[in-house]
Amino acid sequence: MSEPAYTVASDSETTGEEKTSSAFPEIAIGIDIGTAQCSVAVWNGSQVELLKNTRNQKMMRSYVNFKDDVPLGGVSNQLSHEHEMLSGAAIFNMKRLIGRADTDPVVHASKSLPFLVQTLDIGVRPFIGALVNNVWRSTTPEEVLAIYLLELRAMAEVALKRPIRNVVLTIPVSFNRFQVTRIERACAMAGLHVLRLMPEPTAVALLYAQQQQQTIHDNMGSGSEKIALIFNMGAGYCDVAVTATAGGVSQIKALAGSPIGGEDMLQNMMRHLLPDSEILFSNHGISEIKSMGLLRVATQDAIHKLTSQTSVQIDVDLGNGSKICKVVDQEEFQEVNKKVFEKCESLIIQCLRDAKGEPEDVTDIIAVGGCSYIPKIRNLLMSICKKQELYKGMNPLEAAVCGAALEGAVASGVNDPFGNLDLLTIQVTPLAIGIQAVGNNFVPIIPRNTTMPARKELVFTTVHDNQTGALIVVYEGEEKKVEGNHLLGYFKIIGIPPAPRGVPEINVCMDIDASNVLRVLAGVVLPGSQHHGIPVMEVRMPTVDDGHGWCAEALHRTYGSSLDLDTVQKKI
Amino acid sequence: MLSVSSPLILTAPAFSARPATQARTRVKLAPPHAFATASTENYTSTSYLPPYHPHYMAAAAACSSFYEILGISTGASCQEIKTAYRRLARTCHPDAVLATNLKDSSAGEFMRIHAAYSTLSDPEKRADYDRKLLPRYRPLTATAFSPGYRRRNWETDQCW
Repeated sequence: MSEPAYTVASDSETTGEEKTSSAFPEIAIGIDIGTAQCSVAVWNGSQVELLKNTRNQKMMRSYVNFKDDVPLGGVSNQLSHEHEMLSGAAIFNMKRLIGRADTDPVVHASKSLPFLVQTLDIGVRPFIGALVNNVWRSTTPEEVLAIYLLELRAMAEVALKRPIRNVVLTIPVSFNRFQVTRIERACAMAGLHVLRLMPEPTAVALLYAQQQQQTIHDNMGSGSEKIALIFNMGAGYCDVAVTATAGGVSQIKALAGSPIGGEDMLQNMMRHLLPDSEILFSNHGISEIKSMGLLRVATQDAIHKLTSQTSVQIDVDLGNGSKICKVVDQEEFQEVNKKVFEKCESLIIQCLRDAKGEPEDVTDIIAVGGCSYIPKIRNLLMSICKKQELYKGMNPLEAAVCGAALEGAVASGVNDPFGNLDLLTIQVTPLAIGIQAVGNNFVPIIPRNTTMPARKELVFTTVHDNQTGALIVVYEGEEKKVEGNHLLGYFKIIGIPPAPRGVPEINVCMDIDASNVLRVLAGVVLPGSQHHGIPVMEVRMPTVDDGHGWCAEALHRTYGSSLDLDTVQKKI
Repeated sequence: MLSVSSPLILTAPAFSARPATQARTRVKLAPPHAFATASTENYTSTSYLPPYHPHYMAAAAACSSFYEILGISTGASCQEIKTAYRRLARTCHPDAVLATNLKDSSAGEFMRIHAAYSTLSDPEKRADYDRKLLPRYRPLTATAFSPGYRRRNWETDQCW
């Protein structure tokens, strides 16, 4: 049987933007690329329907196996056994690795996976390799994801009997704009056009808005407003959102997210069961990979069982002479993952605080994602919000993809005679965007949780007498120092009239437009009417590509603080 | 209408089209939450602004109070403000406007609506805003200062 011949486009500048033909409005499909599992859904004219692969599965494992000549992903491939995924030939957890430099702690945490993640700690893309015939064959997270998306696309085309081009994808809240470009690149490589990217809990919020709309039958925002706390935790990421919903409009009040998830709990447990496991596996020899796979499967299994039983017996022979026989109960599991649960708690509290809401205001708590089955997580949510139960109207594993499919239909301009698509999501920025000021301080210009589209500006001034130029270095993140944030790009403005420090004014404006494109504008405010002297700079961000860890360092080495800026507020 | 007391906002300032002194005053007054206290200063557009701005600013100039932007009365309840915001979002949000050529102008319009909503939906910001707004809007009812002269005008002022 021959699959349609798709080719993965080269990893070059391909936006695919130019080919959008609005003559034929196709309904965009919704894709939820999970760290562990993926799913695809589409609006079928009356409701959202999850698509199935040839083996009748709605949820497909996220991995690509490089064992054979043609790489096979979890959509079409059938694992004979769980261990097959852990032989080193399969790459998984792409979503944790994509768009991260080799200095990133999340990349370092991935080094105990069976395939090769090599880091040189210099701020470049890590080396990722699949073990094929005793050779580490190199690949990239973008390539792996593209191969996987290609399979998803082929599957959807068979199921829907039409070509698929437009997609709505869900992404973690904590993804920065650079990571978003990597996802878009992977989609372009798979011939897909990203119509919209939604933070996962906002997709869930849209589904909730639709459900409320259906049950209440009110119109145009006249119904009572409902506040929902949405908690989404899968294998790779934890996201929280607070949304105010009425009349089909889901207004996102606040978002919070972090790259922690089931994978961290799994690794904590593996370390707990076999304390020196990391040293043991650091060489990535064949027998060690096998032992690691055995331990991983046994631990995963135990964690799953602990969602429904109080204790579990772990019995595994690692094949290298060491055996693990241990009974683990709920309390022990919670103790081992104390930090993970604390982080979840702080994200929830932060999100509620940012939304300026009291826990008592929350109408519904919606817990989705694989980790929402963990009793500790459920109790945490109920105790913070002082509620006796969680919202029951959603399938925790399908909520995000259903929301993405709804957004796909709405964004494609589909009308539903019953008003089921009279929906709107008002999104906010998940991370602050700002520039570097003197002393490597990060000065946010568009704060976190600003409603989009947005346009904000701030005035800066020089830090040296007669300083005629300034570097505008743009970062995204929440840390006070720029080092802790993500570099999006940089440019230089010149032509500042010579003056004592603190006198000239440099206006920096950030604009996020209707398509979520970020532009940074900067210019010198000149006295009097000589305003045609220096053109304003306008730069679309992000501009950095690979090696972004280097750029900031190189800028610092070359220019020191000679082109620094300071905020005006401080001076006055 | 370059009122120096109303800090800056949504529209990028014309970098250079005004005397520096005024620009300086504005900068001092712009608090970090400038967004929330947006006014509708009628900036001169420059090349700094993306093309959609002149269009949207024309609309901004035509209707000058947050209450007018949301189409509600100055006595509107919190519920009415929210409802009006959602109703307008349903028509003006870029995601609700399917014609791609209108998306940019709708972005400006939605930002204006959101600025109005974010001020009026916060009781403190709304009270601040009302204090600034009302003297301008009801110059004839400054009863606190001139209890006996409810129909004060320029001429009566001259006759103090």
